[in-house]
Amino acid sequence: MSEKTFAVLGLFESPDALMHAIPKVRDQKLGRLEAYTPYPIHGIDEALGFRRSPLGGMVMIMGVVGAVTALAFQYWISAIDYPIVTGGKPPYSWEAFVPIMFEVTVLFATFTAGLGMLLLLNRLPFFGHPVLTSRAIQGITRDRYALSIEADGMALDAAAARAALAAAGAADVEVLAEPDAVPFLTSDYVMRALGGIFAACVVAGLLMYAAIKVIPVMPPMVHMHEQPRLNPQAPSTFFRDGHGMQQPVAGTVSRGHLPIGAASQEEAALLANPLPRTAEVFAMGRKAFTNRCAVCHGALGTGVGSMTAAYGAKPANLQAQRFRDYADGQIYWVISMGKNAMPSHAADLTETQRWAVVHYVRTLQRAQNAGDQDMNAAGAR
Amino acid sequence: MNSEAAVFRGVIPESLMDPPLTVGHVSPGSLDDQVLAFPERRPPAQWYIGLAITLSALATGLGFIGYTFYTGIGAWGNNSPVFWAFDIINFVFWVGIGHAGTLISAILFLFRKRWRNAIARFAEAMTIFAVMCAVIFPLIHVGRPWLVYWLFPYPNQRALWSNFRSPLLWDVFAVNTYFAVSAMFWYLGLIPDIASMRDRTTSKFRKVLYTALSLGWRGAASHWQHFEKAYLLLAGLATGLVLSVHSVVSFDFATSVVPGWHMTIFPPYFVAGAIFAGFSMVVMVLVVVRESMQLKNLITMAHLDVMNKVILGMSCIMAYSYGMEGFTAWYSQNEYLQHGFMNIISGTYGWAGWLTITCNIFVPQLLWLKTCRTSYFWMILVAVCVTVGMWFERFVIIVISLHQDYLPSSWHIYKPTMVDFGILLGTFGLFFTLVLLFARVLPVIATSEVKAILPGAQPGHGGSHV
Repeated sequence: MSEKTFAVLGLFESPDALMHAIPKVRDQKLGRLEAYTPYPIHGIDEALGFRRSPLGGMVMIMGVVGAVTALAFQYWISAIDYPIVTGGKPPYSWEAFVPIMFEVTVLFATFTAGLGMLLLLNRLPFFGHPVLTSRAIQGITRDRYALSIEADGMALDAAAARAALAAAGAADVEVLAEPDAVPFLTSDYVMRALGGIFAACVVAGLLMYAAIKVIPVMPPMVHMHEQPRLNPQAPSTFFRDGHGMQQPVAGTVSRGHLPIGAASQEEAALLANPLPRTAEVFAMGRKAFTNRCAVCHGALGTGVGSMTAAYGAKPANLQAQRFRDYADGQIYWVISMGKNAMPSHAADLTETQRWAVVHYVRTLQRAQNAGDQDMNAAGAR
Repeated sequence: MNSEAAVFRGVIPESLMDPPLTVGHVSPGSLDDQVLAFPERRPPAQWYIGLAITLSALATGLGFIGYTFYTGIGAWGNNSPVFWAFDIINFVFWVGIGHAGTLISAILFLFRKRWRNAIARFAEAMTIFAVMCAVIFPLIHVGRPWLVYWLFPYPNQRALWSNFRSPLLWDVFAVNTYFAVSAMFWYLGLIPDIASMRDRTTSKFRKVLYTALSLGWRGAASHWQHFEKAYLLLAGLATGLVLSVHSVVSFDFATSVVPGWHMTIFPPYFVAGAIFAGFSMVVMVLVVVRESMQLKNLITMAHLDVMNKVILGMSCIMAYSYGMEGFTAWYSQNEYLQHGFMNIISGTYGWAGWLTITCNIFVPQLLWLKTCRTSYFWMILVAVCVTVGMWFERFVIIVISLHQDYLPSSWHIYKPTMVDFGILLGTFGLFFTLVLLFARVLPVIATSEVKAILPGAQPGHGGSHV
């Protein structure tokens, strides 16, 4: 502790005693007057000669700054940088920006009021003030009222201050010495740290913006949409005709759709059914027949299907002698190419399915015209 | 106070005078010994039991939230067309609970209602805790909560910006601002009290902690001058804010075209409902605090009486709002609106509509009787009914309006799942866990504010002259 006196504190028991003492001590002009109280005392500001708090003006200004910031931010985003139409509104529909303008105004104003009061006006946090280590502080934050005469530039006459406070009715007087050192964590330090962080953010942001927008640089990464690939409908210098999309090579055959090796139905009679007569093949043939054929030809192939009446055409009765005499290949040809009003089923049924249908049609024909040997075969099972 | 009492005694009848703010003799010193001593003592066994219950509820909720993250939002009952259900109901419910705190701390401060000083601290704390519960729901409802920062407009490599014409974005700003402002208001008020705790504690650890939290507050008159100014400004700002927050929440509904949502009455209707629900929660918690912490001399029956009057007044505003919904449905001659209104009083969810009306309109009418306003049984009954009723009011607004909209082919009956209920229980656990912790760690009554209104606290008038 240094020998220099920082302040002389006089303790009072009641707010009335404090208020009565202030004018008496103030007239003597011994130093700067300050009071320490557990709660705000009405009228003490005028008694001590304080000026009005400038906080209202600060809050007003920062509130307006908040409103303008919010408006400018929303305008730039919605009308300039990323104009998307929502709800059929023009890009700059300021009415929709009002709620956020209000919120940001309140946010700026609140933090100005709170932090401005603490950091700028009251210079808090500050842990090095002599009053905090005085004997009186336990009373000051509880139920005692202190009047303090503090050194104001020039040296404080501690004896005169003691006498003045005692004469004004102080119950107890305490002399506080000037502190030797100031702790590093002060409001100035906080302000400098916050300012430094803010400045660093601004500088980094501007540098980043310049690096991306102003200074031409190599693309930082190869995006997937930049791969060397031909897009549909896009031109290409690789092909002679300049088209990105090329026709398939002549004679290209799609899977499962080999051309029929016959030029006419008569020629098709020479084709042999490649499928074995197994239960799986018959099941496949029955399913395909039920799906594709039975609506016209009927479930038994008699030419009476559920669609026949509505359709108006006369589907073939597959049980007729003429069709029972067809070779397998001829039936296959009709399924693939169509005949009369019947359309081609080449697109609906694969070759395997078509051959399976041929087997199934043969089964139907044999079942509906069964002879003795069929009876014997069935009975033998 | 006493001086006013002296001036008006004999001029106006005794029944019109403000009741005393405290009961019995309270001095600044005895106030500190009563209120600030709680954090220095070990809590009683009941406190640990309470904490165990609330922590269990919180853990249950966290488990269900984890389950939601693991399986996806499909774990909830929401489905087309009821895309908003428990999540948004609970969000609106909790944000509403918070509004009572700001009303007490800010609006009643501007009206110079000095009785608010004793209950403002607790109500503000409840505001902050309620908003914390509320923000959980939008966070988990986005489905991928780890991407929730996409809600904020920040420069990104996708070159995308938020849509400032969406009320959902207004909500992001409103709720975040509300939380920040409430926290600032609360902390500023705490600084002088923490300084008092710093100067009375004997524990070294507490001394360091409170020194840091009090920022070196020393009660200088020049500081009080700026402090009071800041407090007044914050009260003014928070007043506008509290009216705006629930208005913006109501815009989520009112700016849509869903029948039953698209109404101009929604902003004031929501704000009144929020204050209504919030005051009920404050009454419930204050009754427990008053009894269990022996604060009957500071939180007096007069406090509860006047808060119950506010609840009654808000109930009447709610009655008007419900009536106006019906009137609008009839007067508009809009068949969709009429269908929506009929769904509230009949239909699948008719029971919820009648529960809402009973709990929010009929039951609070008991508070016309002074006996009910000053009886624990009746006020707790009303407060519980109002809390339930206000939760169901949001259910009515959200689920009933959504489950039958313009397209009958999409109509769908909404059923919540166990996960929905579990998460709601979890937020109650969080809320009351924080309330319990607050009650033992920080001063539950704003001592510096109460000291300033005690008899004889201010010079020139007050005890010494009367």
